[in-house]
Amino acid sequence: MSLDPLLIDLRRDLRPFHRRLWLRRVVRGATRIAAAVAVGQLLLALVARLMPFEWHAYFAMGLIVAGLAALAVYAVRVRPTLGEAALAVDSEQGLSDRISTALALAVARPELADEAIGQASAEEPTTDEQRFARLVRRQRRDAVVSLATADPRAFRPRLPRRSSATTALCIALLVPVLVLPNAQNDVLAQRQQMRDAAEQQAQKLDQTAKRLEAGRTDPDPRLDIARELRKAIKELRDRPEDLDRNLARLGSLEDALRSRIDPANEQRAAAITSLARSLSRLSTGTDSNTAGDPDKTKQDLEQLKERLPKMTDAEREQLARQLGDLETVARQAGGDAQAALADAARAVRNKDNVAAAAALDRLSEALQRGQQQVDLNRDLAGAASDIQQARRDLARAGRQGQQGQQGQGQGQQGQQGQGQGQGQQGQGQGQGQGQGQGQGQGQGQGQGQGQGQGQGQGQGQGQGQGQGQGQGQGQGQGQGQGQGQGQGQGGMLGGGGSGARHLGSGHGGSGGFRGPTGDNRQFGTGDLDPIFADFDRLGRPGDPSYIAGQGGDGQSQQGQGQGQGTNNNALVPWTNVIQDFSDFATTSLDRTYVPVDVRDYVRDYFSSFDR
Amino acid sequence: MTEPAVATPAQAELSAEAFSDLAERIEREIKTVIVGQDELVRHTLICLIANGHALLEGVPGLGKTMLVRTIADVIDCTFNRIQFTPDLMPADIVGTNVLIEQDGQRQFRFQPGPVFSNLLLADEINRATPKTQSALLEAMQEQQVSIARDRHQLEPPFFVLATQNPLEMEGTYPLPEAQLDRFLFKLWVPFPSEDDLVQIIERTTGSQTPRAGKAADAKQIVAMQRLARSVPIAPHVTAYAVSVLAATHPDGPRAPALVKEYVRYGGSPRGAQALVLTGKINALLEGRYNVSVDDIRAVALPALRHRVIRNFEGEAEGITSDAIVRAVLEQVPAPAVD
Repeated sequence: MSLDPLLIDLRRDLRPFHRRLWLRRVVRGATRIAAAVAVGQLLLALVARLMPFEWHAYFAMGLIVAGLAALAVYAVRVRPTLGEAALAVDSEQGLSDRISTALALAVARPELADEAIGQASAEEPTTDEQRFARLVRRQRRDAVVSLATADPRAFRPRLPRRSSATTALCIALLVPVLVLPNAQNDVLAQRQQMRDAAEQQAQKLDQTAKRLEAGRTDPDPRLDIARELRKAIKELRDRPEDLDRNLARLGSLEDALRSRIDPANEQRAAAITSLARSLSRLSTGTDSNTAGDPDKTKQDLEQLKERLPKMTDAEREQLARQLGDLETVARQAGGDAQAALADAARAVRNKDNVAAAAALDRLSEALQRGQQQVDLNRDLAGAASDIQQARRDLARAGRQGQQGQQGQGQGQQGQQGQGQGQGQQGQGQGQGQGQGQGQGQGQGQGQGQGQGQGQGQGQGQGQGQGQGQGQGQGQGQGQGQGQGQGQGQGGMLGGGGSGARHLGSGHGGSGGFRGPTGDNRQFGTGDLDPIFADFDRLGRPGDPSYIAGQGGDGQSQQGQGQGQGTNNNALVPWTNVIQDFSDFATTSLDRTYVPVDVRDYVRDYFSSFDR
Repeated sequence: MTEPAVATPAQAELSAEAFSDLAERIEREIKTVIVGQDELVRHTLICLIANGHALLEGVPGLGKTMLVRTIADVIDCTFNRIQFTPDLMPADIVGTNVLIEQDGQRQFRFQPGPVFSNLLLADEINRATPKTQSALLEAMQEQQVSIARDRHQLEPPFFVLATQNPLEMEGTYPLPEAQLDRFLFKLWVPFPSEDDLVQIIERTTGSQTPRAGKAADAKQIVAMQRLARSVPIAPHVTAYAVSVLAATHPDGPRAPALVKEYVRYGGSPRGAQALVLTGKINALLEGRYNVSVDDIRAVALPALRHRVIRNFEGEAEGITSDAIVRAVLEQVPAPAVD
């Protein structure tokens, strides 16, 4: 069946109108969708101004994508049929339903759409059906002629007024809403910073956990710690923004670790090392075990056991005496070692080779157990230090972003002194430089360490006058604007005063460090500014300290100590000694309980010199 | 006075162009006598071509009788006029058997009444009794008359123009709704404008009164009637006509508030038939071969105004049928896409 040529012409001529009708519908739909998207964007922007809306960008993009998708679906669904196009042409071009009637009749009466109708209609109709067919064809021709006079260009898209106005209004409102600064962005940035910091700390703690787990098998306390650590890591990752909770969790974990660490671990380690070294020297006669390795000592003691039967009485007596001399060190290394050493000395003196060999075996085993305990303590201390560092970093990330806080600070400078400081308004966590003047006198001789730190925000002046010896740590923080006055005494005091509204806590350790005191000089950061190297250091950073610090928390602490120190009166450029100070401080921070936020200031203080 | 149209063979088909020419010629001839009243003339012609009947309502003296008489002159058809009065009997309309004597034999012979004509003017139809009215209305509907078991076909075209006076309602017998429904159109005869009145005065008070010439004959009218029914109509236009009719019913889903409030009964299916059929004729008169929605709208008022039965509230508040039909046309949208 072939279509009536008139119908073919009609459909062909209708195509441009069909396309334009489709375009009109798409434009109308696009305008409405754009209005909806614009309203949505405006609402999102307003919400983002009223509250921290982290997903704003994603929602905004999602809205646009949804709008485009809706438009695509809409465009497919509103594709007009030819009949619809015919109706539109009829109504808009005033064709009195000519086109739509022609198409509708072709659909309703398919037999009249056949090409044969053309031939039939040429003949004179004799029946009502022929008469009807003839009129249908005439109507069709009339439709084709009428459509030829219609102009598709008049069939232009129309923009819905309400939707267009809504879109324009929303865009006009959206521009300032988006362009003007949004305070919520700072909140979001801070949250993001928190998450980043949390993730970073989680990764570091994960490394710590792996380190604890490496090569361990149950039962091992390290594995328990690692499991606890992984739980903390999971919470850190699950709830990165809950700073208080995370800090508390990590603090709890750290406290649990600290409680398991033997405070005298390093002292014991030194004793074990010393004892092992001495025993090896006794066994071999040479300094073959300078590192004090208990395993090497065990081998050396094996040699000693073999030599025991061949020893003369004099040699035995000497060996027994030498073993007895090591009792003091052995006591520090542990009770087992002390007892085994005493038994060994006694057996050697009594010429009881069997008992001596057994005692030497127990001694070497005691050394090895002691060394393992030391290693365990060190691992735990390392993990605690990592957790502490993580807390510090988290706390720092949480503090950043705070601004415009005012307060009064109270600072205390290292040793005895009085200070007055004025701070200027600061922003966030900052470091200030303080100017201080102090006077002090040092007395005595000896060795000691002293450390004084003052940190304030803004500018400040302080005066100090002190007398004493020992080590002191003073840390002060001040934020905002204010005046602070502090007073401290004592060489071994720690702590700094803080009267600030925020971050105004000072912590200090008190201990029995001995150290000289000297004149405080004006602080300066110039490369060649002289600094008073106020003591001659005992040991180097990393060496074990024998007196553990004691944590303190409070506005200020006062301490007093006696010590012997000397003022070597050496003035050297501060750059020559700052690294030593830094290393020592860092090491002390790792070995001594110092609150996280205070540690941060200490590290920042030294890192400021790098800058 | 124009020349009469060229007569076509009795069964010859009328082309659409010839239809349009013929109708135009008829209208033109009528307007040589009837001043103004273009819409009335057009609707009367549509009614004639649709093989329907029209009820003209208007105050006396507006030319109703003149219109019918002129149409009769123009289409060269037989014309009768009946003045309906209360004592008019059915036999006075349809005729009766009379006893006659022929060749020495007496026998009854049917004596046709005035209804046996092509054009019948039933003047003031509401003044006759319902019995008499129904006799005419049966003839209108059946196109035949039954007398003494004999059926007498009326010669086509048979076109009744009934008139009634809306003012003098005393002693009248208003046509019941069922009878009204048999009129294809109900036409208002408006009062002429002042300009038209001037022309009427000039034409009717001079020495010569204009006369309409013949423009067509009865066969041509029948051919026009046949052609009109062949005009194709698209389904969506038919659906529109049905929607309009349905909206005149107060319980219809598309009925406007005016209909819901003031209409007791809507139009009958005859209303839809009238809309479509007269719409076809209107299309042909406009020179088209298809019925458009505008054609339906153009004939909606005369086709539906007498089919919409107002309720008591509607009559009491003076809500006219025209207002109701217009509300329906506003309520029912034409099928269109945007």
